[in-house]
Amino acid sequence: MHIPDAFIPLPQAAIYWIIALVFLALAVKWARSEINEDKIPLIAVLAAGIFALQSFNLPVSMGTSGHLVGGALAAIVLGSPFAAVFILTLVLIIQGFIFGDGGITTMGANIINMGVIGGFVGFYSYQGLLKMIKNPYVSAGVAAWLACLIPALACAVEMAVAGTFPLVPGLVAMGIYHAIIGVIEGIVTAIVIYALATARPDLVDSSIRGTPA
Amino acid sequence: MIDNKTFLVAGIIIAILIGVVAVFLASGDPDGLESTALVVSGQKDLTGLSPEDGDPEEVGTGTFAYESPMPDYSLGESLGQMGGLIAIVAGIILTLLVVLGASYILKMSRKGSKT
Repeated sequence: MHIPDAFIPLPQAAIYWIIALVFLALAVKWARSEINEDKIPLIAVLAAGIFALQSFNLPVSMGTSGHLVGGALAAIVLGSPFAAVFILTLVLIIQGFIFGDGGITTMGANIINMGVIGGFVGFYSYQGLLKMIKNPYVSAGVAAWLACLIPALACAVEMAVAGTFPLVPGLVAMGIYHAIIGVIEGIVTAIVIYALATARPDLVDSSIRGTPA
Repeated sequence: MIDNKTFLVAGIIIAILIGVVAVFLASGDPDGLESTALVVSGQKDLTGLSPEDGDPEEVGTGTFAYESPMPDYSLGESLGQMGGLIAIVAGIILTLLVVLGASYILKMSRKGSKT
């Protein structure tokens, strides 16, 4: 769901950039206080993995493909939605400037959708679900599905405001496609979290290792 | 439990493997946003196949244009999948280095560091 430059008029794109920069500043604050020698390899590997996964377009039928976003994954593993903002922003900068994936003027909107909304929806729905069902992997999977679907709906609303998509057909199409993409996102997120928790239980957020699988 | 260095190396290898597999197996269909653009511009049915020559950017209203050095994760038609491989691996390594660099700078910029 990388919005290209052509899809948002400049004045609106500027507003999304300003909002994105506020969250980016908070993410930098998070990084300065939370990053330590042990977390750096985890953050770097998550970023590289998210970049790789985002380049992998999986067929989801109906003439459409989709790739994972990774916002929920980053936020859950590192225990903060700002971790998702931090990682996704750096990934989006590289994708936009080097690979033309997602626009430059629209990068603010892309940071908001995938980093901010994806990170916050993923993190807080995970926390809520974990309290109810006690299983961190199922909670993470469902949270990742939501963290794929809700940013897509937000994107459809932004497209409607921009005059690029009509509201209802945009919401329907974005919703259907990303509800399917989100299932893959959920499964992969749960598997990656399980793998990370097995390889380095000390590095992942305490909510994951605190509960027996 | 594996140490930090092994973890980092294993992580890079897995990321590169995913990227390499993606070059050969990734779907050429438009993604969810592009597909929606095709639907709302009447080039595609909601559940139908995407047209070969569909142009998702037809619905665009913006004016800014930017030429990236490696558009669509490739180095151009002539290099084909080899170009795609180089682009993806370069992207993964660049992402890793940028995030490592940013993390170290932010860690060092912390005053009265706890560690």
